[in-house]
Amino acid sequence: MKAEIIWASFKADIQSFYRSKATLFWTLLFPILLILMFGAIFSGVGDAEYELIVVDYDNSDTSETFIQVLNDTNILNTKLEVVDEKSISSYIKDEDIKRLITIPKGFEETLGAFQMGFDENATTNISFYFDQSEQQTNSIVRSVISAVVIEFNKNISGGKDIILIDDIETISGEFEFIDFFLPGMIGFTIMQTCIYGSLERNTKFRKDGILRKLLTTPITRTEWILSKMLFQLFLSFVSAFLIIGLGVAVFGLNIHITALMFVLIIATSFLFTGMGMVIGRFVKDEESAGMAGGAVTFPMMFLAGTFFSLESMPGFLQTIAKVMPLYYVNEGFRNAMIYLKTDDAIFHSTVVLIFAVVFFLAGLVLTKWKED
Amino acid sequence: MLKTVQCPSCKKVITATGNPGEIVKVTCPSCRAKGKVTFEKPVYRVTPEDGLAIQVFNLRKEYGDLVAVNNISFNVRKGEVFAFLGPNGAGKTTTVEMIESIRVPTAGSVKILGKDISTSFDKVKEKIGVLPQEFHSFERLTVRETLEFFQKIFKSRASIDEIIDDLDLHDQEKKLYMNLSGGLKQRVGVAISLVNNPEIVFLDEPSTGLDPKARREVWDVIAGLRSRGKTVFLTTHYMEEAEYLADHVAIIHKGNIIAEGSVEELINKYGEGSILDIKNCKTKDAVDMLIQNGFKAKNAGNGDIAVYIEHKDKVLEILSILRHEAIDYDALDIRRSNLEEVFLHLTGAKLSEEEK
Repeated sequence: MKAEIIWASFKADIQSFYRSKATLFWTLLFPILLILMFGAIFSGVGDAEYELIVVDYDNSDTSETFIQVLNDTNILNTKLEVVDEKSISSYIKDEDIKRLITIPKGFEETLGAFQMGFDENATTNISFYFDQSEQQTNSIVRSVISAVVIEFNKNISGGKDIILIDDIETISGEFEFIDFFLPGMIGFTIMQTCIYGSLERNTKFRKDGILRKLLTTPITRTEWILSKMLFQLFLSFVSAFLIIGLGVAVFGLNIHITALMFVLIIATSFLFTGMGMVIGRFVKDEESAGMAGGAVTFPMMFLAGTFFSLESMPGFLQTIAKVMPLYYVNEGFRNAMIYLKTDDAIFHSTVVLIFAVVFFLAGLVLTKWKED
Repeated sequence: MLKTVQCPSCKKVITATGNPGEIVKVTCPSCRAKGKVTFEKPVYRVTPEDGLAIQVFNLRKEYGDLVAVNNISFNVRKGEVFAFLGPNGAGKTTTVEMIESIRVPTAGSVKILGKDISTSFDKVKEKIGVLPQEFHSFERLTVRETLEFFQKIFKSRASIDEIIDDLDLHDQEKKLYMNLSGGLKQRVGVAISLVNNPEIVFLDEPSTGLDPKARREVWDVIAGLRSRGKTVFLTTHYMEEAEYLADHVAIIHKGNIIAEGSVEELINKYGEGSILDIKNCKTKDAVDMLIQNGFKAKNAGNGDIAVYIEHKDKVLEILSILRHEAIDYDALDIRRSNLEEVFLHLTGAKLSEEEK
């Protein structure tokens, strides 16, 4: 086995890859577009109004005016709740509150004291509780509250900061759709690139005589497969980290890069490359390869819990999902990266590893290297 | 292997099976006479082996009941262009792919440069260059990148610059393979087969599907390989290609080699010698007059008459008959019989028609 040959073949793959606009689109841009689209549809980005829970401990005319001004912005829709000060954290968690502000007791008094000139250094703190997983919405709500506070400070003191905002991060118990969807997209994208990449090598390269040509050269089967796997792994990691980057930058997801995630990316790449080889054995030309690829990836895409949670599906579909390798890939990624359920992640990764070994070995055995 | 023998008593043809070197007892199914059939051990026809690039002995390929290649044997000498000529489906590609170790033969053996490929093909790989049939390289690599990729696979490496020079690919070296014309793609295909500076180059139908100009260009490239001392194994169904390029031709038909030799030898042996074409003859009975004078003549359509010339002296005789009988015609044309006529003579079918 010679590293130079493997490297030459890997380099040729990369060169071919970045020159094919269609491949670039389907491997890199398409998943991003899907995520942005689904993310927008299901996460409510673009709502005109955001609900803001207000707990008013002051119960004064001034605090009421403050709440009224927040409402008058037409961006925030305030909802008054009465919550005991000590149990505010558990309230947020139990009720799955995304955004909440508290107006402290003595709000009116402090402002009055400043205006009357009793206390030039008087300040009062409004607390803003927000769910860290909703970065985009939070920044909008935060800027509206800030604007209102600045306006108040200007009226009372001519710009001196009397009302201050305390930012307090919370984590609600629930995960959003995007938390569920994004790891699924990683699994789905790796599946697509590996199956179709593998099918291309086994149908197009066969038809074009490239495999026949290679049989007459000193490149070994191991070198060829290794170089192709290196390329598939490269694509898988690029896709995965692109999707993760998107999740963090646009949706403010709290994604954890764990060792199991790496194991899953590698195992998933082997799994679906092997599956592509197995399919490639039974199809003759490129068109039927495309159709056979679709016949395998489409049901998995919809049934293995990529876009929608299995819980919302009928029982028999859930059973079908559980024999699909992509289900374990998706669940594995979710548990390893988002939910941090290590035990479940280990279980799912193990199943994926077993599938990977079985399919990759089957692919190696079934692939027809020589002609009949 | 199979061998057919004639029963000495009832003359019925019997087919016997056995291995090389074996003597098999047979019983005639019609007259029950008993006898023995000897299966000869492989004897390579030309010795010593030094001069031989490829030796094929009793090569056979079956697909179920179909015999695609029927126990064929031949040698390719070093430095020659060997053309494997035959219509589509004759078994050319099956044969060449067995020699290239892409297909596994049902029986028989192949030696390349004296090495048996069933055991030592890995040693041979560095010394051969292959252009498979209907080869299409990686679409999105440039010509130079393509050559560099294939070159890195080999230990023995030719200079890419020299190959680009020799095959006149300067203007194309930075172009993507997918953007080249059919002729240039084939030229690049030949270039790829040269990256390891091979002794033997296999070209499987290199000019199929090309227009006449591109085909000529590919021929020039192949002629160039020969002048650089390469042995070329060429498969083709174009008889002009074999006539133009080949030192030695083997004609394959339905899995059997039906004739073998230089173009000259084949035409002399199986052709019709030379032919005098009388173009647009306006005299009736001209054919009969020629036949009465002892010539083999026939109407060749469009008013043309073809007269077969067995010896060059006969040409003057024909001319004097034409003058004496005041035969009126537009023009005369003397041409040699070609491989098309050889194939027609051997099989009763036209090479070009067999394709269809």
